[in-house]
Amino acid sequence: MVPGYQRRPESADCGTTIPAWREPSVVSMIQVREVTKRYGAKTVVDHLSFTAKPGQVTGFLGPNGAGKSTTMRMIVGLDAPTSGDVLVNGKPYASSKAPLREIGALLEAKAAHPGRTAVSHLLALARTHGISRSRVDEVLGLVGLSDVAHKRVGAFSLGMGQRLGIAATLLGDPAVVMLDEPVNGLDPEGVLWVRNLLTGLAAEGRTVMLSSHLMSEVSLIADHLVIIGRGKLLADTTVADFVTAEGVRVVTPAPDALRTTIAGPGVTVTSTGAEELLVAGTSARKIGLAAAARGIPLFELTPQNASLEEAFMDLTRHAVEYEASR
Amino acid sequence: MNITPGGVAAAEWTKFSSLRSTWITTAISVFLLVAFGMIASASFSGDGMTSIDLALSGTSLAALSVGVLGALLGASEYTTGMIRATLAAVPRRLPVLWSKSLVAGSAAFVTMTAGAFAAFAAGSAVLNDKVTGLGLGDDGVLRALLGAGLYLGLVAVLGVALGVLVRSSAGAIAILAGLLLIVPGLAALLPDSISEAITPYLPSNAGSAVMALTQADGTLAPWAGLAVFAGYVVVTLAAAAYRLKKTDA
Repeated sequence: MVPGYQRRPESADCGTTIPAWREPSVVSMIQVREVTKRYGAKTVVDHLSFTAKPGQVTGFLGPNGAGKSTTMRMIVGLDAPTSGDVLVNGKPYASSKAPLREIGALLEAKAAHPGRTAVSHLLALARTHGISRSRVDEVLGLVGLSDVAHKRVGAFSLGMGQRLGIAATLLGDPAVVMLDEPVNGLDPEGVLWVRNLLTGLAAEGRTVMLSSHLMSEVSLIADHLVIIGRGKLLADTTVADFVTAEGVRVVTPAPDALRTTIAGPGVTVTSTGAEELLVAGTSARKIGLAAAARGIPLFELTPQNASLEEAFMDLTRHAVEYEASR
Repeated sequence: MNITPGGVAAAEWTKFSSLRSTWITTAISVFLLVAFGMIASASFSGDGMTSIDLALSGTSLAALSVGVLGALLGASEYTTGMIRATLAAVPRRLPVLWSKSLVAGSAAFVTMTAGAFAAFAAGSAVLNDKVTGLGLGDDGVLRALLGAGLYLGLVAVLGVALGVLVRSSAGAIAILAGLLLIVPGLAALLPDSISEAITPYLPSNAGSAVMALTQADGTLAPWAGLAVFAGYVVVTLAAAAYRLKKTDA
């Protein structure tokens, strides 16, 4: 018997207790290993490797056509990789005795027969695993669709369809939850709800992965970022590191003296004005200390927290598949 | 809480029974079977026509109808996108096809056997006086009625297999109608020697043999005919299984 997923009233103790639904020894994660997918001559995913770990939200980002959906389809075995392999909780997905317990996947909102009611749709999925009718009602309640449980899916709005899809992912109380563009079509209240739901799931020790082509959507909930462009890995980093990677803006009357002072392996200095430098590869603190030691005056010392959105655009600029002409 | 064959079958039954179109199509199939049986029984007669032949004259239309039901069940997984949810829940894939076939086949067998008996009862009641009436106890009557149910059950499975194979409702229905209705007509256009050799083995002719009270010239024996038809179904199912297992969903 699986205890139902409960939204926690308070998040104070999140992550400190071992969730009852999972043996602590079992690895819950998604491992994508050197995966390549070709359709004919077109390589959609190119030697992609990354890991989505338990207890955190992994944001899977990339421009449209970058290969996000294809990668997610390969994770649940809908598409077979041309080469490489994918492990879900340490084993190939198809070998699982209870796939819905391993991973709940929302791949696109419209994955239900329009002539079926919400209850029948979920019941059809639940019965494969002997999941009870009461669990179906429970997840419908969780996503706020109890009132329309007996309405046909064809009459649902895009947002309701997304909620139904999310309900389906929660059916088996899975260790991993993976959602492809989950907030598409949701109203602001729905977006906030998804955000809370996903951070709650991660706080319970589950692996959560969601894709988006919008950094702004992901940056608020993700702990970890996997960014791809044209099927290739562009960045595999934490949200914090991704932002600070931009560098430090320094304004000084003696830019040349400062340059020689802070020069070192991994440090790059770009001149952005007569008295301005952009320094990457070191911290504002180190620059300040080095300048003080040599008596170089500094007028300004600003870590460049270029917005995540800018950093993302910058990173993916050369990997945009479909670009508007300028 | 694990995935089980029984669970997958129960899931497919839920999918099948939760669509309004399933019940409408099934009702139409039974109606065609009974209505045409009654009309033919009341008004037709001819050399060698038995009351069973007349009572079951709606079979070819009912076959089209249950075949469409099966084809929609199979193809709608793809046309609606449901297949992604289905296969994410059952990543081994093939149990879905077997369960779908089992559900559609048994549902059609049960309802169409009942329909065949109803058609025979109703047809006998209005039978015109040029044809001799038969009872359930007469030679071959039970076999013909049960055979009609079995044939129509297999047609539903054929529909499922075609739907999963071609992944399009229109395509699957077109192939089904072609196999059952058009191919026999085309075969008749061939030179007699060839036509006579292959006609008994065509899907609808082979399947119908089980419903004939006496084996006519140029037809297969009842159970042999049904076995040939089952062979077509098995081959189509195998092709559908191959595509389902080997290609991206």
